[in-house]
Amino acid sequence: MTRRVYLDHNASTPVHPEVVAEMTPFFGEVFGNPSSVHGFGRDARAGVDLARERVADFIKVPADQIVFTSGGTESDNFGVKGLALAKGRGHLITSRIEHHAVLRTVQALEAQGFAATYLPVDEHGRVDPGDVEKAIRPDTIAISVMHANSEVGTIQPIAEIGRIAREHGVPFHVDAVQTFGKVPIDVDAMGIDAMSFSAHKIYGPKGIAGLFIRKGTKMVSIQHGGEHERRRRAGTENVPGIVGFGKAVEVRARDMQEEAVRVGMLRDRLWKGIAANVPEVQLNGHPTERLPGTASICYRHVESESIVLGLDLRGIAVSAGSACTSGNVEPSYVLVAMGVPLDWAMGTVRSSLGRSTTAEDIDYVIESVTPLVKKLRAAAPAGVA
Amino acid sequence: MRYSPTLVDHFLNPRNAGLMRQADAAGEGEYAGCGDLARVFLRVQDGRVAEARFQAYGCGPTIAAASAVSELIALRPIEDLAHLKPEEVERALDGLPEDRRHAADVVADAVRAAARDWLSRRG
Repeated sequence: MTRRVYLDHNASTPVHPEVVAEMTPFFGEVFGNPSSVHGFGRDARAGVDLARERVADFIKVPADQIVFTSGGTESDNFGVKGLALAKGRGHLITSRIEHHAVLRTVQALEAQGFAATYLPVDEHGRVDPGDVEKAIRPDTIAISVMHANSEVGTIQPIAEIGRIAREHGVPFHVDAVQTFGKVPIDVDAMGIDAMSFSAHKIYGPKGIAGLFIRKGTKMVSIQHGGEHERRRRAGTENVPGIVGFGKAVEVRARDMQEEAVRVGMLRDRLWKGIAANVPEVQLNGHPTERLPGTASICYRHVESESIVLGLDLRGIAVSAGSACTSGNVEPSYVLVAMGVPLDWAMGTVRSSLGRSTTAEDIDYVIESVTPLVKKLRAAAPAGVA
Repeated sequence: MRYSPTLVDHFLNPRNAGLMRQADAAGEGEYAGCGDLARVFLRVQDGRVAEARFQAYGCGPTIAAASAVSELIALRPIEDLAHLKPEEVERALDGLPEDRRHAADVVADAVRAAARDWLSRRG
């Protein structure tokens, strides 16, 4: 059987066995609605409360400042729309490399009459905090900048942006879906007023995420109905998901630091191995301010999807930096914003490592990608793209 | 796997890949949508393909289609190839997913261009 190597942890992660064990009773005997006052409901409520405490403890905030949502996309929609609609009109600041959940939300708000500034990034994918300050206008009502980009792994200077936001009295939302549980986050020191984070990127289940909302931050709900989540997000709680999320966070609190060092070393091993064996490659992102497990590598003059297919046929899961959908290629807007030339950007492949990744996996990837790229280049007309 | 075993085999073991020097004819196909590109080179004897080689840049199906076509057109009369249809390329791969049909288009374009090149050189 072909060896299988999963290097797509920024897309999703396998649920940790300890998380599965914690969730299991909540699919069976503990099935009540947490809003119900009877014992069945109270048992479910206890699970939700414990999970909320675990998440809140992890980022050192009071539990009542955590709202559970259905996913990172909902959290981003809630964070950005919640801040904007609380004011009704005004100007928003974000970056050009945000996840679509933020970018398209800001675009939708523009269509409703809000104004927006999309900040550029440097060649490493970093926003200049000075640009944030320059973009602030008297009518600026919110700033939303991601903590780390999923494609290239660059970590933004969030604390500096947060300080500027605070000095100007502008609420600051951070999409921390790719960093939560991977690198330390201090919402007070970073001046964060609202922050999105998700379970399935950190070995929790899919369909459950959270939004931190600092007390006193003016937000409106975007989903209406019952009194759930202190009237901030209506809908019966996804109890098994919330319980799993809480456990996943507890496990991350225990394992995060050690794992960051280990996957960081493996990531370096991957890049060094590829750079030593494959000519014309480039590592994207910031040299030091980056997620520990992410390696975005450009292979010049090769189309990324052919590398993804070739590696898939060897049992290796990575993701393409440029996606060809129905015959239309979308060069990654993140790489375009970073100024990566097209002939490099089109051959970008992201590997994202995780807790199960081993040195043997990395060596197998290096052994596999080296002849593959050589073969693809041999069949390609030099200098295209 | 969303691709046929034939397609995968051509992708993993491309036949006739690489430049042909002093070809009797050459043609190029490009798909503007995604930048996929194929070049086909022909050696012609008695009006038929004596040897075909290709260069391709693009997703896996485009590379596989170029490899498959290099076998498909062997010994075929050049005049027929001026009308090569993408459907024939697709059949040679035992099918393509709907969103990868452009692979057959790019390669069929390149073959037709090469055939036209030879016909125009012949005068």
